[in-house]
Amino acid sequence: MMTQDEARKLVEKILSFSKFPDCSVGLDASEEAYVRFANNGITTSAFTVERNITIASTRDRKTGVVQTNETDDAALRAAVARSEQLAEIAPANPEYMEPLGLQQYPKVDNWDESTAAARSPVMIPHVRAVIDAASSKKLVAAGFIQRTARVSVIANKRGNFGYHRGADARLSTTIRAADGSSSGWAGHPTARIGEINGALLGETAVQKCLQWSKPQRLEPGQYTVVLEPTAVSDLCASLGFSFSARNAEEGRSFLSKKGGGTQLGEKLFPEHISLISDPLDRRYSGPPWSFSGLPDRRIPWIEKGVIRNLSYDRYWASKTGKEPTPSPSSLILEGGDVSLEDLIRATERGLLVTRFWYIRSVNPQTMQATGLTRDGLFLIENGKVTTPVMNFRFNESPVRMLQNAQRLGRPVRCRGGEGGGMIAPAIQAANFTFSSISDAV
Amino acid sequence: MISRRVFLGSSAIFARELFGADRAAGRPSAALEKLGAVALREAKKLKATYCDIRISRHHDQSTGIRLTPERGTGKTLEVPSVSDRESFGFGVRVIAGGAWGFAASPVVTPEEIARITAEAVTVARANATLRARPVVLAPTKVYRDRWTSPFERNPFDVPLAEKLELLRAAAAEVKKGARVFSAGGSLQLRSEDKYFASSEGSSIQQFTVTTSASLNAGAVDFSKGVSRSRTYVPLPLQTGWEQVAVMNLPEHARRIREEVVEHLAAPPVTPGKKDLVLMPSHLFLTIHESIGHPTELDRALGYEANYAGTSFLTTDKMGKIRVGSDIVTFYGDRTYEKGLATTAYDDDGVKTTRWPIIEKGIFKHYQTIRDQAHLVGEKESRGCCYADSWSSIPFQRMPNVWLAPGKPETTLDDLVAGVDDGILIEGRGSYSIDQQRYNFQFGGDAFWEIKGGKKRGMVSRVSYQSRTTDFWQACDAIAGPSFWQQYGSGGDAKGEPVQINSMSHGCAPSRFRGINVLLTD
Repeated sequence: MMTQDEARKLVEKILSFSKFPDCSVGLDASEEAYVRFANNGITTSAFTVERNITIASTRDRKTGVVQTNETDDAALRAAVARSEQLAEIAPANPEYMEPLGLQQYPKVDNWDESTAAARSPVMIPHVRAVIDAASSKKLVAAGFIQRTARVSVIANKRGNFGYHRGADARLSTTIRAADGSSSGWAGHPTARIGEINGALLGETAVQKCLQWSKPQRLEPGQYTVVLEPTAVSDLCASLGFSFSARNAEEGRSFLSKKGGGTQLGEKLFPEHISLISDPLDRRYSGPPWSFSGLPDRRIPWIEKGVIRNLSYDRYWASKTGKEPTPSPSSLILEGGDVSLEDLIRATERGLLVTRFWYIRSVNPQTMQATGLTRDGLFLIENGKVTTPVMNFRFNESPVRMLQNAQRLGRPVRCRGGEGGGMIAPAIQAANFTFSSISDAV
Repeated sequence: MISRRVFLGSSAIFARELFGADRAAGRPSAALEKLGAVALREAKKLKATYCDIRISRHHDQSTGIRLTPERGTGKTLEVPSVSDRESFGFGVRVIAGGAWGFAASPVVTPEEIARITAEAVTVARANATLRARPVVLAPTKVYRDRWTSPFERNPFDVPLAEKLELLRAAAAEVKKGARVFSAGGSLQLRSEDKYFASSEGSSIQQFTVTTSASLNAGAVDFSKGVSRSRTYVPLPLQTGWEQVAVMNLPEHARRIREEVVEHLAAPPVTPGKKDLVLMPSHLFLTIHESIGHPTELDRALGYEANYAGTSFLTTDKMGKIRVGSDIVTFYGDRTYEKGLATTAYDDDGVKTTRWPIIEKGIFKHYQTIRDQAHLVGEKESRGCCYADSWSSIPFQRMPNVWLAPGKPETTLDDLVAGVDDGILIEGRGSYSIDQQRYNFQFGGDAFWEIKGGKKRGMVSRVSYQSRTTDFWQACDAIAGPSFWQQYGSGGDAKGEPVQINSMSHGCAPSRFRGINVLLTD
């Protein structure tokens, strides 16, 4: 991958083509290898190289943005010129903020060379282990293993420069009965591919699939739930987009107060709910700056149930006299020290949810969302998993779920079917609303 | 891995020139054919049994304006955004040892094409050690052709100032409403230059252009803690700037500024079983999720089991199962003029087609590509192969899937007149469906009560839930061809890693009896 010196030379060259007072450059260069499998065999796999250069030129608060993936001098010169042409035509942006000067980004040294270099010889044995686990029980495996190595660079004419390299990997598998009557899932995202254990994930998904056989019909309604960490992540990752101070002040958020104002400082959740973002957590591999270029840092958003911070972008911070805050990323919902089994044992009657699927916002203000359970839903009775249950659709808000959270397990990094996921614990929560039955398996 | 020298050095090929050459001759550019031949030659040398290469350039331009009150003063601020994105590169697909291999790079030089082709063969040979069955390709004819989607004026040639002024004027019209809090407008333009060459002898160059826009209005009632929006999305089509006149943004700006205020004050719906009249701007998405996805063959065969899911329409149901009522007929179609998925040849090099998916309510045929058609006993692919970028693996993607209109004399008023207690829904809202496409829940952008055969005022907080086959069998009326409109979506996600696809779902307003309506937050 590109070194820091090489990256600096390239962005300095791009900036040298700029004729405008301000120009900022973002460079994203990635390399990806992956293997996809289904019906107990590899279907497709690839090795790809990508790069994207984003150039934003500004004069008199007028900005034009161009993205290109060509890196020869002539193409870069043309891209800078094009961004300047666009800026000349664009109207002045009344919310424009002066570019940042040199920032001190926290040092993140979380690069794992074996993850960054992994190709088929590293990945295929995991796929083989998953397929072996499935076929030994006459089940059918599908799944995906991927690694990405990425260099991210930001720079501007005011002297700011940031360089970050990160590598990440993941394996997930869905194992189904050959007649389509049952399904189980397991997945593991990680910054270190060496932590992935295909045999273990295969076995976990096989057991889910075997246990979920012949699900019974239950009436929809409100249930106590034990959400596995991936289910919590599926539901709660959207919280990362909901701490905008501006949206809260403008009456469009669950953090808006009736009659005006925000819920900053209010205790909206039980004592055991704390949500933080932490780019330095070694389970993540992203860059130590936020979208706006501000250095990222550990920020508590909810602390012991209290709304501790709102996210002020640079413009809104300037209007409100606040310090700008990086927007929430690398989310961690803190947990307790009990196991999933402990949560099940502590449940008199409830539903154990493996994961959710197709979650969409119904009301952005209350964060009510709809979606479905998938790949393993079970009735818990008197502290034991007793019966596989047909999938449900839910209409529920992560805000309400956290307000109703009773016990929390140990947090792990999760990535479900959609979105990048988060670090989340298993949660036992009361009064979770399921609205209808789904026949899907 | 790409060498640092190559990344930092000079590729010295400009995509524009490469794709622009030989246009008048009506055949693929000679320079592209020469580059394509490098991959085919290298693959043959490495004993791959099949190879294709796609060299493509994607151009996206996004222009937007947002009007919001300044904090403290309330003065309306106009916040513009202008961005232009180009991406150029190539991907090589091979079959070796009976397995697929793929590799891609943004460095379009003969040396890099040869190197990446060898990478693709390496990938294929590794895959061959763990393949379920050897890849079999349905036969296709060999083509040498050049095709361009129809448009009168390339929207990328229109001065940016004209685009910004169009949006500014429309958004300002929305913001004129005294109770409108925020307004916005955006234009999305997309073009794709693509060259395809295969070891079977095809050489195909295509160019497509799409134009889409949207206008939105937001209103907030601080005393009640409620905010609502209203959006106008003109038909997004594979066409040029001429479409902008048809969009009629000023008139719709005036309409949505009134409707957002009505939406803000609209009473909550009374939940229960109701009849629905669904407008094309809404119904297209229901079609997409409940008919488009379950009739994808790769889903039915389990290829998408780990992500998008499988299908309730398993292969044993082909030609047998009733999905909809007798009046419900759907076509798969990549030939319909201006459809977002329309093209002359797919990414397998197959000439695109039109065919019945559901005929008079009965499920007839899947969407197919070359390496899966034989698995349901079909001899040819229906041309549904697509990759969203030069760096993406081509696979089965949804064509335009459209609902045949009803009888010519049936009007929207007829549909409404037949409803005693119902809701008319326009625009897209929340949408969610299970991984086998049985159970779905859809919201909308705006809802009107229908009482005693008449459309009344707006209601709010509406979603409806149903089961795909129950829903389409409850369809008892479809308006005629003059009401048929080709709405579509540019954001369909499928595959791992995820790829995005665009397609149209033409339909006329349709009526559904006794659907479960929910009251949401």
